[in-house]
Amino acid sequence: MSGFDIAGWGISVPERVLSSVEIAERLGVDEDWIVSRCGIRERRIVGPGQTTASLAIEAGARALEKAGLTGADIAHLIVATATPEQLSPATSAFVHHGLGIAGSAHDVNAECSGFVYALMTAAAWMAIDPRPCLIIGSDTHSLTVDPNDRDLSILVGDGAGAVVLTPSPDTWIRAWNLGADGSKHDSLKVVAGGSRMPTTAETVEQGLHYAKINGNEIYLNAVRFSVRTIRATLEQAKVGVDDLDHVVPHQANIRIINSILSHTGVAPEKLVTNLDRYGNTASASIPIALAEALDAGRIADGDLVLLAGFGAGMTWGSILLQWGGVTDES
Amino acid sequence: MDLPTVEELAGQLAAVSGAENVDVDAPLLQLADVDSLDLMEWLYGFQNKYPDVPADESLFKDIDDTTTLRAVHEKLMALAPAAARS
Repeated sequence: MSGFDIAGWGISVPERVLSSVEIAERLGVDEDWIVSRCGIRERRIVGPGQTTASLAIEAGARALEKAGLTGADIAHLIVATATPEQLSPATSAFVHHGLGIAGSAHDVNAECSGFVYALMTAAAWMAIDPRPCLIIGSDTHSLTVDPNDRDLSILVGDGAGAVVLTPSPDTWIRAWNLGADGSKHDSLKVVAGGSRMPTTAETVEQGLHYAKINGNEIYLNAVRFSVRTIRATLEQAKVGVDDLDHVVPHQANIRIINSILSHTGVAPEKLVTNLDRYGNTASASIPIALAEALDAGRIADGDLVLLAGFGAGMTWGSILLQWGGVTDES
Repeated sequence: MDLPTVEELAGQLAAVSGAENVDVDAPLLQLADVDSLDLMEWLYGFQNKYPDVPADESLFKDIDDTTTLRAVHEKLMALAPAAARS
């Protein structure tokens, strides 16, 4: 199978910082209640004129620049998002235009697993069409959350992360596992605005365009499915948790992450997290954390890097990368 | 297969939450250092240990200011197959 290099990466986060102190004052709780509950001290929130596509374009431009490419070099663009620019067309159309992409484009909505799904899609695509791909995770969930919802408003932040894949004779993916359980579609949802419940004055009045979460169900299944997918990926690669160098999980909630690490036996020092500074940026959380780890020089050639996500739907997925690639003979 | 006693259940919840003391007859919502995520973490461990007992997050669905750990334990016992209670 043809492989890929991750030739460039970039992030975009809004300048506006929303601290847990500000949210605590609004909700009438202590900052400690928020921090101890989710591990988030601050998050970035979009300002006027900033959107899912504008963040994606910024992150994509930075990734292209680092890769030494332009939009004209990209054969395919995938944007992972659950907070699209508008209902139609796909957010990737706006990003395609903004970056001058030469090739095709489409969106992936696998909620917070979106980047993992998009990366696997691109890898499969490049196995049959080995030309550069740009993958971007971008979400602006702050715009979908009721500011008075204690469960969700403390969690979400906005941002985008991007990677450029270029063809390589080496295989970077050692193993992977994706899955979904649609019976749990009620765990986290925005019920109005789609074909099932078109927008009306009543849906707006009733707040049905806000995201709603069943926190207990999400917590339990996030841990359950993440543990399963990580174990399955490691088993497929025939490596143990001690062989891992870095684990980049979806930055959902530090207690969920710690529970997943504990149940899989991953040593805490292998965790890559920026949850305290950005909160839960949904599809963007894994590429933002990955890009920051790369910029910090934390990841070296030969390292085993596990990406693991879970999201509403529910969806989950994990990919084990060997940084720098591995040939069939090695 | 023996299900945990209510005292063992309290010990498990204390271990998960870090609470120093879990009074089995105190309302769950009033237990210091125990919150809903601690209950879910405990439940995940219970599900792994007792896969035959159909306990899920609905165990805590109707929790209110009077619900105690003893009441949760009684619900668990009711959910467990007869073999598990022997």
